[in-house]
Amino acid sequence: MADALVKSDFLPKEAHAPVKTGLLFARPTTKTGLVGWLTTVDHKKIGVLYAVFAIFFFLVGGIEALLIRTQLIVPNNHFIGAHTYGELFTMHGTTMIFLAVMPLNAAFFNLLIPLQIGARDVAFPRLNAFSLWVFVAGATIMNLGWFMPTGAPAVGWFGYAPLTSKVFTPDVSADLWAMGLQILGVSSIAASLNFIVTIINMRAPGLTMMRLPVFTWMALFTSFLLVLAMPAIAIALVEVIFDRHFGTMFFEVSRGGQPILWQHLFWVFGHPEVYILILPPMGYISEILPTFSRKPLFGYAVVVFSGATIGFIGFGVWSHHMFTTGLGAVATAAFSLATMAIAVPTGVKIFNWIGTLWGGSIQMRTPMLFSLGFIWMFMLGGFSGIMHSAAPADAQQQDTYFVIAHFHYVLIGGATFALLAAIHYWFPKFFGRMVNETWGKISFWVIFVGFNGTFFPMHFLGLNGMPRRTWTYDSNMEWNGLNMFCTISAYVLGIGIFIYFATVAWSYFKGEKVGNDPWDGRTLEWGIPSPPPEHNFSAIPTVRARDAWWHAKHNLEEAQRDTEAAIKVEAAQGGIHMPDQSWFPFFAGIGMFLAGLGFSNYFPPLTFTGIGLLVVSIYFWALEGPGGYHLHIDKNGNVTESHGH
Amino acid sequence: MRFSASLRSLARHALPALTLLALALPASGALWLEGPQSTFETAGPVAKGQLQIFYVTLWVTTFLFVGTGAALAIATWKFRAKRDATTNAEPPPQGHGNPFVELGLTVGSIICLVFIAVPTLKGIKFGYDVPNGDTPGKLAALVEKGDAYRVTATGYQWWFQFDYPTEKIQGGGTLVTANELVIPAGKPVHVDIRTRDVIHSFWVPKLAGKVDMIPNRANHLWLQADEPGYYFGQCAEYCGDSHSVMKFRVIALAPAEFAKWLADQKKPARAAAPMAPAPATPAVGTMAILDMMGRDAMAPLSGTGDAREAFKAWQTRQQAVPEDNAKLALISDGRRLFKEKTCVNCHTVRGHEGAGVNAPDLTHIGSRSTIAAGLLENTEARLKDWLINPDHWKPSNKMFHGVGGSGEIVMAGYIKADDNKHPMMDASGQPVRNIALTSADVTALTAYLQSLK
Repeated sequence: MADALVKSDFLPKEAHAPVKTGLLFARPTTKTGLVGWLTTVDHKKIGVLYAVFAIFFFLVGGIEALLIRTQLIVPNNHFIGAHTYGELFTMHGTTMIFLAVMPLNAAFFNLLIPLQIGARDVAFPRLNAFSLWVFVAGATIMNLGWFMPTGAPAVGWFGYAPLTSKVFTPDVSADLWAMGLQILGVSSIAASLNFIVTIINMRAPGLTMMRLPVFTWMALFTSFLLVLAMPAIAIALVEVIFDRHFGTMFFEVSRGGQPILWQHLFWVFGHPEVYILILPPMGYISEILPTFSRKPLFGYAVVVFSGATIGFIGFGVWSHHMFTTGLGAVATAAFSLATMAIAVPTGVKIFNWIGTLWGGSIQMRTPMLFSLGFIWMFMLGGFSGIMHSAAPADAQQQDTYFVIAHFHYVLIGGATFALLAAIHYWFPKFFGRMVNETWGKISFWVIFVGFNGTFFPMHFLGLNGMPRRTWTYDSNMEWNGLNMFCTISAYVLGIGIFIYFATVAWSYFKGEKVGNDPWDGRTLEWGIPSPPPEHNFSAIPTVRARDAWWHAKHNLEEAQRDTEAAIKVEAAQGGIHMPDQSWFPFFAGIGMFLAGLGFSNYFPPLTFTGIGLLVVSIYFWALEGPGGYHLHIDKNGNVTESHGH
Repeated sequence: MRFSASLRSLARHALPALTLLALALPASGALWLEGPQSTFETAGPVAKGQLQIFYVTLWVTTFLFVGTGAALAIATWKFRAKRDATTNAEPPPQGHGNPFVELGLTVGSIICLVFIAVPTLKGIKFGYDVPNGDTPGKLAALVEKGDAYRVTATGYQWWFQFDYPTEKIQGGGTLVTANELVIPAGKPVHVDIRTRDVIHSFWVPKLAGKVDMIPNRANHLWLQADEPGYYFGQCAEYCGDSHSVMKFRVIALAPAEFAKWLADQKKPARAAAPMAPAPATPAVGTMAILDMMGRDAMAPLSGTGDAREAFKAWQTRQQAVPEDNAKLALISDGRRLFKEKTCVNCHTVRGHEGAGVNAPDLTHIGSRSTIAAGLLENTEARLKDWLINPDHWKPSNKMFHGVGGSGEIVMAGYIKADDNKHPMMDASGQPVRNIALTSADVTALTAYLQSLK
């Protein structure tokens, strides 16, 4: 096949694309320093930036959570005012979902997808940078309220109409919330399209879909979910924004608006969103468990298809968030049954993870501890989810602390545990140093104890009648003891998270240096140097089995032959083409930021400036030309660059 | 039969007990599932049915948890690597899965879910409306015959209004109360669920699960209190700053007692004394806001959480008390202030001056056990606290902040607010006041309100 590729007429023979000149169209080439980071189109650097922003917001959201818990430590507390409390839980929810877990998943999509499919970058590197900067713009707008006299939004992360209307929230905080969320949606959709195209089109030779690493599969499903779910909330947000700015009456009660419409649109997005948050973590777990059990994932095809099934049914269960809105008996019954149905593919995944452990040789490294913790905690969260699916029982649980317990088991015990496992597991790949194992394990146990101490008692609080979004509670409700216990445990959880990230930060500078494959990994990323070079693969790998790198390690001669053939093909095409950097995604992000800021503050000049900058940036982005340079790799692995004509 | 009954009893008692044992009891020693809003101490068929379904889900998921958890624990323990295992050791057999195991477990989990699905579907049907009253016609017939009762609950930021559409009042209109819903015990009650502003939710955990009060949407629920008693309820949907202090009570009464209560409530407000000319009040009083310092913040605000005690106290409160002549002047002064300070614009006191409809009906406020929507016990001290600084207890409430900014004032509150609902400040940095109460005013108003039995 390699020879055929060398001769192919459809591959570029011309060594260099024409380079455009002139101030505006000279693409920056600085790889280091601030300019290097702002103009980068390298998926690994973009991934790292996503991770840094996400971890920052994760810590901000965590501090908001600790303030919330501090307010609830004793009854009738006035430590925090009612309005500030509303701002805190609104921003805690919004931050953790949109600014922490989602971008941290996006970080791993960026870091891992090209490496796992044997590609040199994503399909559209500049669009990828654009997604990042638009995310930063949206996140900033969302949080600006903290620094303005109006304060942060206090409408809940779910923003139920008509509380978001001008009548009930007259100041701009709700505008900042709606606009911030809208801009984040743009980022998510652009990024998702990019990943879909990348996964489908840029797989290495031999990497059929049914050989894809499970993480990449989950990333693909998640991207489809995002592309399909985000428009629902985009429409809902447009309606809110129009109601607030232009006097439309989608949710304007006095003129016949229907606030229930918001709930449907929000949850048509909001429930798939739950799977958007949890499918990638299922992917990390499906990579980490096989590595540390030293055997392949049990029931690969079943795990993949159950992921697809979850994604599919996930669009048909949204009204289980609305069992108390008076849907009527038939709709309630239908959504009850659909919700029970979605428990089956989720349960199947858990069975397969246990099957993966069975017969393995389990090594209790830190990522494995977090992964096993994930299975246990996710199981508990899943079971309380089944309890909610029984609508009559849910009528007592809806909007109580029982629900808080449920989804924190899914989102901390589930998603966050898996993300912490993933950070620890892939850190050596991207920074060339191990995260300290001892402190990693200590952080796991502190987090595990703190997490369960915080959230397990909340099941009891909820069943004992404590509603959520409660700024304070009276001392005669029998909630005092458990609340104090939860708050103290939350501090323990906070300490655990601090230990974890302090260890990661320390390891960045002082961690033990390692080679390509410290964990005896199974997928392609472990076959290249740590940290990976900008071009990822000196030779595009030829995939001969699932767990391609494991296969290559155990079939060295075959792998050697494939490598040599791949280098030959690339040399015949004039080397490895690398893209130049670009300012325009960053400028477009600034344009989006200014436009959103101007619009949410009712200041048209700024809005139009922002839109102008956005349009001009995209126009120049289209005109600046492909640019780029080539890398040539000789037999000894030495890299030389060639530029221009 | 006996076996299943004992099994059910085991389910009811063993599991909470086990969980109590499983975790260390926090310092307070509070009983975790026996609060005034416990969903376990049910007092009517709706809540009971919902609890039974919860137990079904609890048992099925516990069974699944024990099975799956055991497999996970055994796998983790049995296949752990030996201490000296390194990456150089020979890897274990590279098995890829087993279709029969997959199929078996999938079918097994579906069967488990059927156990939950069947009672769920039955429960959805049962909980929809009062038995045999699931159409408007049938319901009207039941109410007509006296086999069911019907009230309307309406949510406001941040209190509840209760309408009795079947209870006509002499001189027109039907009975309206606020924040304490009194119902006949042992009879199904159909509650129409409405709201006047944002979304709220009507929830009395011991009687029934919640149903949301959604604008432009006619929701309902039904509940029944099997025995006379005092039940705690609360708004369960975030509705703005004071969501967490938007509470109410349901009081269920035996038929005779209920009839007497209705008769009392239908009377206009008690006239304690003829309108007397205003006695001289001190021209300058201390600003009342300073009076409320130094109270124990940890003491319950809304009285006892013990429903039995609370019910007794409520019943005692309904009894007529001898006229306190010493207070007559004060009461009459309070009545005058109630008008002068524009309270009457928003509150109704039927038979007296008040005729406002944007705030709780206060005609018989003295017969209620709580004030400020179930937040504070209805005592002289608490009523004073409330009147002095309502914003402290119920942040952003309309009595304090008013409605309408710099434009047309819809409701004048204690202070003036700007268009963003933020208090307007005068040159010295103090809020600009519409209504200012001195200590003497507060004392008189309290005496007046307490006289409205």
